[in-house]
This record gives sequence, C-alpha cells and structure tokens, in this order.
Amino acid sequence: MKYLPLVWAALRRKPTRTLLTCFSIVTAFFLFGTLQGINVGIDNVLKLTSVSHLIVQSRVNQGAAMPLAHKVQIESIPGVTAVAPFGIVIGTYQQPSNPMVIIGTDFDAMLKISTDLMVTPDQAAAMRRTRNGVIVGVTTMKQYGWKVGDRIPLRGIAPKADGSNDWQFDIVGTYTLQQPDWATRIFANYDFVNEALATGKNQSILFYVGINDPAKSAAIAQAIDDRFANSPNQTNTANEKDSIETTLGQIGDRKLLINGVCIAVLFTLLFLTFNTIAQSVRERTAELAVLKTLGFTDASVQWLVLAEALTLAMVAGALGVALASRVLPWLTSGPTLAAQGIGAQHIPGLVYAAAAAVALVLALISGVIPAWRARQLNIVAALSGR
Amino acid sequence: MAAVVSLQNVVKSYTRGRQRVEVLHSLNLEVQSGEFLGLMGPSGSGKTTLLNLIGGLDKPDEGQITVAGERLDRLSGSQMAAWRARHVGFVFQFYNLLPVLSAERNVEVPLLLTKLSRAQRKTNVAAALALVGLSDRATHKPTELSGGQQQRVAIARALIADPTLLVCDEPTGDLDRESAEEILQLLTILNQKQGKTIVMVTHDPRAAAYASRLLHMDKGTLARDESRTAA
Repeated sequence: MKYLPLVWAALRRKPTRTLLTCFSIVTAFFLFGTLQGINVGIDNVLKLTSVSHLIVQSRVNQGAAMPLAHKVQIESIPGVTAVAPFGIVIGTYQQPSNPMVIIGTDFDAMLKISTDLMVTPDQAAAMRRTRNGVIVGVTTMKQYGWKVGDRIPLRGIAPKADGSNDWQFDIVGTYTLQQPDWATRIFANYDFVNEALATGKNQSILFYVGINDPAKSAAIAQAIDDRFANSPNQTNTANEKDSIETTLGQIGDRKLLINGVCIAVLFTLLFLTFNTIAQSVRERTAELAVLKTLGFTDASVQWLVLAEALTLAMVAGALGVALASRVLPWLTSGPTLAAQGIGAQHIPGLVYAAAAAVALVLALISGVIPAWRARQLNIVAALSGR
Repeated sequence: MAAVVSLQNVVKSYTRGRQRVEVLHSLNLEVQSGEFLGLMGPSGSGKTTLLNLIGGLDKPDEGQITVAGERLDRLSGSQMAAWRARHVGFVFQFYNLLPVLSAERNVEVPLLLTKLSRAQRKTNVAAALALVGLSDRATHKPTELSGGQQQRVAIARALIADPTLLVCDEPTGDLDRESAEEILQLLTILNQKQGKTIVMVTHDPRAAAYASRLLHMDKGTLARDESRTAA
C-alpha cells in the first residue's frame, strides 16, 4: 500500500490520457457486463420456462388476435386440462410516459396451468368475486408501492365501449413465483375487460393451455394446430420453452454473437491499454531510472509498472461492470417484458467473476512488456538520455 | 580518518557503435570520511563515469571498488540497489524530482524502501525539509518551485535515509549564481556540521572552491590532486 502514491502519481502524470483509457475500459466492461448479463439472463428465462403447458398463437402473426371461440375447441382436444385466453388492455398509469399492460384472463384456469403461480386461496376467491379485481405480481406491487385494496386508475390508449378511456382496477391480491423478480404481470378478469372494450371483443392474442402429460406436448400442439388448419385463424402451438427458443433462434446464434462482440471489444482494448502503459513507461524513462538510483530494485520497478496496468484495468473494469449492474435491470424492466412475465435481469455472480478475471488478464498482457522494459532499464544510459 | 571510498586499478570502458572506448584507465583513488571532494575536468574526461562507479550505479570492467566497507564490484544488481538505498544520496544537475508528487512526497520516496511507519516517515520528511529550509513548501509540486528550491528538495531526498555518502553531479549546473551559492553553502554545512562525505562533479571553478579537496581528471586518469581550504 505504501507504493500506492507512486502508482497513482504515474497514472496522474497524463490525466487526459489516463481518463480516456479509463473511459474506454469502462465502456468495454459495461458492454461485457450488460451483454453477458443478457446472455445468462436468457439462459435463466429458458430454464424457468415450462414444457408442461402450451402457448397457442396466431400462425399469421405473433400477437395477432384469434377468436375466443377457439377456447372451446382447444378444451375439447384430448390431453388438454385447461385453457386461459389473454385479452390485453394497454394504457398509461399516472403519467403518459408510464405505460402499463393489463392481461384479462381466466385466472382460475391460469392457476391450473401455471402451477408455479403462488396465490392465497382467499385472494383467488376475491378475484372470482370482484369483476374489476386484479392480481398483481409482487415485483410490480413493490415497484409502484401498491398494497391490496388499492385502486389502479389506468388511461387506456383506445376508447372503451362507453366512450371513455378510463379504467379502474381494484387490487384484490398478489402472486409470486419461485423467482419473485419475475412476478411482474397484472391479471384481470377476462370478462370484465372483454365487456368494456369498444373493439376487439371476444378475441384473444394467445391461449395458455394446460396439458396432462408434458411428454405428449408435441402431439397435443400438433392436434391443436390441425384443428384450425382449415380455419381463417390458423394457429401455431408450441410449449413455452420451444416457443421462446424459436423466437430467439430467429436472430441467429445468440451466444456466438454476444461472445464475438465481447471478444472483439476486449481485444481492441488490449492494444489500447498496452499503448497507454507502454507510452507512459517510455515518457518516464528518466523517472524510473531515478527510482532505481534511489534503491528500487529492477523487480520492484517492474512491479510498479504492472501495478499501474492492474490499477487501471481493475478500477475501470469494476466501474464498467458496476454501471452495467445498474443499467441492465433498468433495460430489462420495461412493460412489454413485464407483461410477458420476464422480470428485471441482474448480472449474476459468475459474470462479475469473469469480468475480474478478464481485467486481470488484460492488465497482465498489456503491462508485461512495458514492465519488462522498465526492469531492463539501464540507469546510467537512462539518466544520460541514451 | 578512514577511507570511505577506495578504488584500485579501476578500468571502465563503453561500447559506442562498434568501437570500444576506455573511459577510465587503471584508476586509483581514496576518499576519506568527511571529505568534500570536487571532481573537475573537461567533457569526456571520465568524471561522471567515476561518480557513477562510486555511487554504485555502474560496475567497473576491472579493478576493485570499496565504498562504505562494501566491495561494489562483487554485488549483484539487487544487492547494489539495496546498498545504494542505505549508503548513497544522489543530487543531479536537473534535480530529477517526480513531477506529479509534492516536495514532501518526493523526499519520502527513499523511505518507502525502509520499514518505517507512515508517521515516522512523515516526521523524517519534515525534518529533512526543515534542514534545507523548505518547510513552507512541503505541499508544492516541483513545477511550483524555483530551480534552487527544487535542488534543495533533491538534497533533502538525498539526505532523508541518512546516507554515508552524498554524490552530486553538477548540482549547480542549472542554477543562477545566487541559487548556486545557496546550494553550495548548504552542501558545505552538511559536510562540516553533519560530517557528510561529499563527492561532487562540477565544471564551475566557483563551485569547486567549496570543496576541501579537488581532483582534476583528464582522459580517464587523475591529472592533479590538490587539498585545499574550503571557501
């Protein structure tokens, strides 16, 4: 620690250059943390998604509405245990810049299908009794400071059948999941939402389908799609896991892309950091020779230079990852993801450890040659400017 | 008086391009404890080379060098570094202070190699700066000090570890006459009051006049050795 002033002095010698290099490292590690956080986050999403229920969507376009009449037909297919429609109310809460999505569904059916939804029986009963009742995920409750009994006023983006845009929902309960961060949805009663709509009545943008045997999910999905093969509203059915993997697969090999970007950024950073340290050592030839004159050994001067590279990479790397840890949850906590039941992503411990290891390797590789040059410095030659 | 510095048949040469140039030819020299030795001579006469050998910055090709009881020609690089830290204080023509550090931090640098606590280091630094008359400039950076003040900081840094020997290479070469006088008087006080042995290279006869013994070098040999009464 007593050598810290010397390391700090070396870094402060050209503050602009140090700051710019620091900024580059912060940016690179911010990207590294964010992208790897997303990577791991998606893996977690896939781990949590289920093969024990199916999602039925329009074959024409994901998110396009299908007739509610499909529900009855899907329920009649062998192996199907429950079907929950999704009717959506999109609006803003308190401010126009604060969008919110309410899902009108058959909550009892949802409880049968998604066995990981945890709600107290009292609150499930209250949902049945209260037409404008909503069950809200614990994360959303916390985000807005709501409590059971509160009324949520929502300004819908489309007018209701009565001509107004104002919705009122009463919070009758909350739900949580094994991963509470992801309890972000707001469930309302489908009938209440459906009756109030001016357009798009008796439609559903998807159906959640419970099945009695996950091993038969492919066959049941095929049976559902076959049922509507000759209908003007054809369907595309898959279990939740396959559905998400198919969607992600459309953007290519995600891991390869993310890792490729990270490697390219860090490789560029390696040259930049090497250049900064090497230039700093070149400019301080006489100063390093003075340190040796005063009694610093070749090895201690070498370690001082390496310590500079380490300090720069570790401090700026830590700042970058810290910034990513703040930004990633914010980036992944939008209303669209929340409505899909995907909560804020957090950088896992593994990514922090990887970032520390990368910063260490970066410092060692970029610092080792300048440090070796400092070690080999001849005092007499350096002091005489040779 | 005991000899602090003893050189016997010292030969030193450098390679310039493909040529090997012998700078010191079989040199013999003794410097007694408490002496203020001035080294004069034309450029290329070997003054700085001799100073570097005495200060343990370089090694001879042949011959023996004993300084403060240690055979320098036998020490390894790291042993030599440790020896320099204990026994030699260096004062350079261009001060060679670390520009980003304050005066007190510059003076403290040699103490980082010791086991002294931070509080002890601080006390010693304050005493050294007081000795050179710069207590009020402790927190100033070199760029905020005059040439004479910077050289006094360099002298405080050279003294901080209480070395046996002060090695000064043209210590007044970059200073105006008034500042040069102040530095030379300071060195004289250190020599006479604190008994520091000083070896100083200079081109300036006025500076040389402060030395108690003057050696004239020419073409790598000692041309003249005169003991004198210091100014």
